[in-house]
Amino acid sequence: MATHATLLALLTGVAVSLTAAEPKKAPLDLSKLPPAASGPVDFAKDIQPLFAAKCYSCHGAEKQKGGLRLDIKIAALEGGDNGKVFVPGKSAESKLVHAIAGIGEIGIMPPKEKPLTSAEIGKVRAWIDAGAIWPDDGKLAVKKSDHWAYQPVKRPATPSTSPLITNHSPPHSIDAFVHSRLAREKLQPSAEASRPTLIRRLSLDLLGLPPKPEEVRAFVSDTSPNAYEKLVDRLLASPHFGERWARHWLDLARYADSDGYEKDRARPFAYTYRDWVIEAINSDLPFDQFSLQQLAGDLLPNATQAQKVATGFHRQTLTNTEGGTDQEEFRCKAVVDRVSTTATVWLGVTMGCAECHSHKYDPFTQREFYSLFAFFNNANEKAIPAPNAEEKVAYAQAKQAHAAEATKHKAALDAYATTEAPTKLAAWLQTASLAAVPWRSLTPDKLAAKHGTTLKADKEAVITASGALPAKETYTVEAKLPLPRLTGFRLEAIDDPDPKKAVGRAKDGNFVLTKFAVKLFVPGQFDGKELEIARVTADHSQNKFPVEAALKGEDSVGWAVAPQQQKSHVAVFELKSPLDVPEGARLVFTLDQQYKETYLLGQFRLAATDASGPLKPDFTPDTVAAALAAKPEQRTAKQSEALAKYFREQVDEPGRKLHAALDDHAKKAPAAPATTAAVLAEEPGVRKTFTHVRGNFLDKGTEVRAATPAVLHPLKPRAAQPDRLDLAQWLFAPENPLTARVSVNHVWKNLFGRGLVATVDDFGKQGEKPTHPELLDWLASEFPRLGWSRKALIKLIVTSATYKQSSVNRPELQERDPNNLLLARQSRLRLEAETVRDAYLAASGLLNPKIGGPSIRPPLPADIAALGYANSVKWTESKGDEKNRRGLYIFFQRTVPYPMLMTFDAPDSNTTCARRERSNTPLQALTLLNDPVFFECAQQLGARMAEVPTADAAERIRHGFERALARPPSAEELSRLLKLYEAQLKLAQANADGAAKIAGAAKPAPETGEKATLVALGRVMLNLDEFFTRD
Amino acid sequence: MNFRPDLSPSEIAHLTRRDFLASTGMGTLALASLLAEKGYAAPPTDPLAVRAAHVPPRAKNCILIYFEGAPSHIDLFDPKPKLNEMNGQKLPDDMLQKVRFAFIKKEGVRLMGSPRKFTPHGQCGMELSDLLPHIGSIADDLCLVRSMTTTQFNHHPGQLMMNCGSPLFGRPTLGSWLTYGLGNESRDLPAYVVLHAGRGSSAGASAWSSGFLPSTYAGVLFRNQGDPVLNLGNPPGFTPEMQHLGLDAIGDLNRLRHKHVADPEIASRIGAYELAGRMQAATPELMDLSKESQATLDMYGVGRNSRDNPGGRGGGPETYSTFARNCVLARRMVERGVRFVTLLHASWDHHSNINQELPFCAGMADQPIAALVRDLKQRGMLDDTMVIWASEFGRTPLGENRGGSANVTGRDHHPFGFSMWLAGGGIKGGQVIGETDEIGWGVVRDPVSVHDLHATVLNQFGFEHEKLTYRFQGLDFKLTGFEGAKVVGKMLA
Repeated sequence: MATHATLLALLTGVAVSLTAAEPKKAPLDLSKLPPAASGPVDFAKDIQPLFAAKCYSCHGAEKQKGGLRLDIKIAALEGGDNGKVFVPGKSAESKLVHAIAGIGEIGIMPPKEKPLTSAEIGKVRAWIDAGAIWPDDGKLAVKKSDHWAYQPVKRPATPSTSPLITNHSPPHSIDAFVHSRLAREKLQPSAEASRPTLIRRLSLDLLGLPPKPEEVRAFVSDTSPNAYEKLVDRLLASPHFGERWARHWLDLARYADSDGYEKDRARPFAYTYRDWVIEAINSDLPFDQFSLQQLAGDLLPNATQAQKVATGFHRQTLTNTEGGTDQEEFRCKAVVDRVSTTATVWLGVTMGCAECHSHKYDPFTQREFYSLFAFFNNANEKAIPAPNAEEKVAYAQAKQAHAAEATKHKAALDAYATTEAPTKLAAWLQTASLAAVPWRSLTPDKLAAKHGTTLKADKEAVITASGALPAKETYTVEAKLPLPRLTGFRLEAIDDPDPKKAVGRAKDGNFVLTKFAVKLFVPGQFDGKELEIARVTADHSQNKFPVEAALKGEDSVGWAVAPQQQKSHVAVFELKSPLDVPEGARLVFTLDQQYKETYLLGQFRLAATDASGPLKPDFTPDTVAAALAAKPEQRTAKQSEALAKYFREQVDEPGRKLHAALDDHAKKAPAAPATTAAVLAEEPGVRKTFTHVRGNFLDKGTEVRAATPAVLHPLKPRAAQPDRLDLAQWLFAPENPLTARVSVNHVWKNLFGRGLVATVDDFGKQGEKPTHPELLDWLASEFPRLGWSRKALIKLIVTSATYKQSSVNRPELQERDPNNLLLARQSRLRLEAETVRDAYLAASGLLNPKIGGPSIRPPLPADIAALGYANSVKWTESKGDEKNRRGLYIFFQRTVPYPMLMTFDAPDSNTTCARRERSNTPLQALTLLNDPVFFECAQQLGARMAEVPTADAAERIRHGFERALARPPSAEELSRLLKLYEAQLKLAQANADGAAKIAGAAKPAPETGEKATLVALGRVMLNLDEFFTRD
Repeated sequence: MNFRPDLSPSEIAHLTRRDFLASTGMGTLALASLLAEKGYAAPPTDPLAVRAAHVPPRAKNCILIYFEGAPSHIDLFDPKPKLNEMNGQKLPDDMLQKVRFAFIKKEGVRLMGSPRKFTPHGQCGMELSDLLPHIGSIADDLCLVRSMTTTQFNHHPGQLMMNCGSPLFGRPTLGSWLTYGLGNESRDLPAYVVLHAGRGSSAGASAWSSGFLPSTYAGVLFRNQGDPVLNLGNPPGFTPEMQHLGLDAIGDLNRLRHKHVADPEIASRIGAYELAGRMQAATPELMDLSKESQATLDMYGVGRNSRDNPGGRGGGPETYSTFARNCVLARRMVERGVRFVTLLHASWDHHSNINQELPFCAGMADQPIAALVRDLKQRGMLDDTMVIWASEFGRTPLGENRGGSANVTGRDHHPFGFSMWLAGGGIKGGQVIGETDEIGWGVVRDPVSVHDLHATVLNQFGFEHEKLTYRFQGLDFKLTGFEGAKVVGKMLA
């Protein structure tokens, strides 16, 4: 057998492997360091020129690789991403010296140029050893960048070249910018799109829903000069506008309805945040306030429920509850995500890489990343009650109604107590004897617990368990029997008066009594005799844990009381036959509790009786027994009252009923709405913030304070310690060059399919340049002027001729500008995933337009839902027309995302998504052709066509076509559809059973052939590219 | 534009997908610039067109057998006689302090030997457990790695790490990267298919997600019930003839629209609908095993009954035949040009009852997998088809003394050293790479990280792992992360 020492020797590999994940640090060979130079060294003469020649190109004003800057004293002393690079007096330990000597882990510096000579290195060493005297240059490490996006927004003058096409006077500013650019390219803009196209485009862009045929007709025939503007205003005022634009925002917020990792638990109230977004957008909460509340609503003075719910924006991060997970690791990951997401959404900069090292291309150091991290580091995750207005009103009403009803019950009881009860009580007291209340508490004189629990009895004979909490336990209670005859026992499981505790000691307050046994010891007999229990009853047993189980002694079951752990309970055990007991007999009770872990009794009492059965599991308080035992004339007022109460509540039938009615009613008290919201709540000063070396949360670098990146405008905190609210206000400072640009660009992208800066999430050096920089700046200056009104900005854009252009491609444009960067036409855009669904449901008339509330689960094949971890994903189908609600309400289960959404490029909601893909795949075709949801839409469209009062197939086809596409078919299209009609009709008539199925009819009938044909036609119309494209 | 409205759908059906897309002028310019924007200079064609890798590849197709839950390396691949000798002993305290466990309580934990018998197999003499007799028979084709390490010790992050090279959500899988890099060779099947047996896994769809890559590169889940692909079948009542009429009309009407608005996306839409129609026709043929010889089916064990089902995590008795069938289907898919097939099975998470449940799982896996490798080889397909057996980590040499369980009958999560294997696709078979210490805890020779493994796989598919990148949120992402990775030269033939 190996000793510990040999075991250790044997396992030398173990220690290596445990640290294998960390980078190997080669031991420094300090003997290779050139010695420090002798003689005085002057910074300005000897050192600064060296730094300038060898270091500044990477560690100077332009670049700060590794976060290090050597051209300014204050920055150089601070060091780089991994801390200080030199400490005065200690040149042999200096990372700077190691680097220039090429002995450290980063290798030799400068990496590509001629290395420093030994003499030069010696000078640097001598300078450090002499105290690194660096005459104060008085310079702060001010960063500058000449990258366009970091320059202030300057409102450009609107170009004077007259727009090429306009219906405005004076010309629309957007058109002035776009057309002057087109003029330079010698390109013509496109003509205005047709009215049907315009209303369909606007409805889809503003509401995410296609227009109804009657709306199309009304708009087409509206001859007023402001017909278009009226339409825009109507759509902006529609509550569906909030749904459409909320979905855009939810992409950025990485909104989902579940935790993400492993069990991927549902977040049933995630929708409270989603509904906040819809409401905020519908009420046109100005974008600065909209943002501020989401980033720091909890920090606003007297924050309202809604302002707190808004902070749910940053509660959409993923959660891992797998066993053994280091929660600090995932908390840090969530904070990192909050920083990156904030930077992407409001600044259009990619900060993610700065988690591990300073940004390679943009002027953000790792320290600056963690300075932003500090803003979020003390924001704790909390849930607050968040009933919506309806729920609040409903609860108040229910409470009121309940209270009124309770008053009635009380009145009836009071009336009974004062009128009929006294007479009956008097009669009862005449006959009442000890036999009426037969229980005698057993005062234990020995208590024991097998596995260390402390048991103590008080003078009421109540036994309390405390101290150690073993997984399993056996209590033994020994007591004298105070009766000469014995018929049964009573066990009271007593609810602890401490409201935090319950009857049992398990986490959920429950207990499981797996075996109840009693032995009788008679004086003079050596062995005790196990008493045979014939019958056991309890006032309450948990489902599948009946009190009878306590006689069996199986570990997997016993008597338990959930969900009533917060109430006392009683079980009575009746002996097979009455037993006469000689004086001095003793009872030993064994209470076994072997179920799982810690399901132990907390407080209990034992009693015995000699009454004849059947015994009832009720409580007869000892106070009552005492009062009854006392002579009537000696009873105290308290005792008389106790007897009266006991009689009314326990003995007298009508009284018991009245009490039971009152109790039952109390149980029916309306529950407060369970709706909660996940929010951020600041706990200042709880955590300090350090950089994480290479992004590893366990490897703490230098401490940092909350601060904003130096390349941007200064932060103006309200107090010494800046907080999230300061950060949010900093984002909307007038001198911020990014937020307004980035925000108008998001809106522009949603209306043109592409941002003026195509990389909407990256305005940095790696991103694309704006196609129309002046227009971008003009809009960025206009947005605050419009009071950050989203609706006003959208109205401004959609009323431009640029937006209203036809999207028809032109050969010269296809050649010169295939991506439509110059905006000589509108773009055709495949609808987003949710909008595809919404368009189907709307065109077929199936759409349930209800807004807000819990997320829905449309039908999903069982095997798809079962792919989550160990059946932990419960996909309970929504019933009735709930399943026909808009796509944004579909429950987003991160590990089992609804397949249709993913097939159409909905974001996976794991990180912020500023730009969706628009793919074009055969799986999309299969979904639209065959998914039961979409086929049902086709059936409905077919049914609408079948309803048209006509015998003319062409008329029916025109009706369906217009419903689907908001325009009549061309002659060619109509003739192709008629051809299909005839061919399908032939097939349908030849296959009556199939036709009935297609038509959704119970059985074949003469008209099912045509109905099925119309369904098939509806299916074709709804599968046309045009149907799920915004033209 | 060289759009050809003159072609009828049936004529189009006779063209290859590539020709078809070219003939419809499928927005070549637009796509080229789209791809250039993504930092990947792909030839100007559709996103799934076959593309050349950086260098001529050794492997063309990949079958990834992924066993979620972490099979015990000590009981399957890595014999540890010393551990058996030390059964029941403690681990020194200072070692225990340094590690984190998912469920093990450090107090009182003991080493646990393996009851398995290991014997040498093949000419190479590879030692394998008595639970893998069939896999032993293909030992000379296997490159067994006994020195894998990962940075993750929880399942879901571990699964993401092994599949996507990062423990975080939202990254593309190996299959997505290869599909993105190489395109699809099949005209009428998806490029990347996922087959599943048993119950669900903690990764769910994130095990085949395309992450930030377009969803075109996501795995397509084939189902064991209903339509093999979700929504593959026509709605009730629709005959293939009716479907054909409908697809024809959709194509014609889309062409009319295209004539009017001249949007290249419409041409691509027409292509997608044509392909959908072909998938409807081709998939039943793919799924139909009736043309396979009885000898082949028997070799894989299709239709065989499970042994006694211990009623554990590994699934019901039907799991045996489902998994065997999936192995045959994987070969059929590769034959038809599918680029990447993932065979999933959960769960091998044997925290308890390991001596009953591991034999069940191994019994399910052993025969069909050996048959798959042998079948590929005899058909000459193993040269360019890589087969990988992988999971997220291994299991502890310590017995798991989780609270609440009286007996120690399982092992906990173990990321510091574990085993996996590869075969085919230019991987050198008949060899063992690396070594763990005498109790199977840490790696003492040739450690292979997950990123090293991925770099090696990409290498065989013709990619320099540093160069297969995708720009997302301003960063050039790659499968092998930012920490550095190396191709494991010893693995290569």
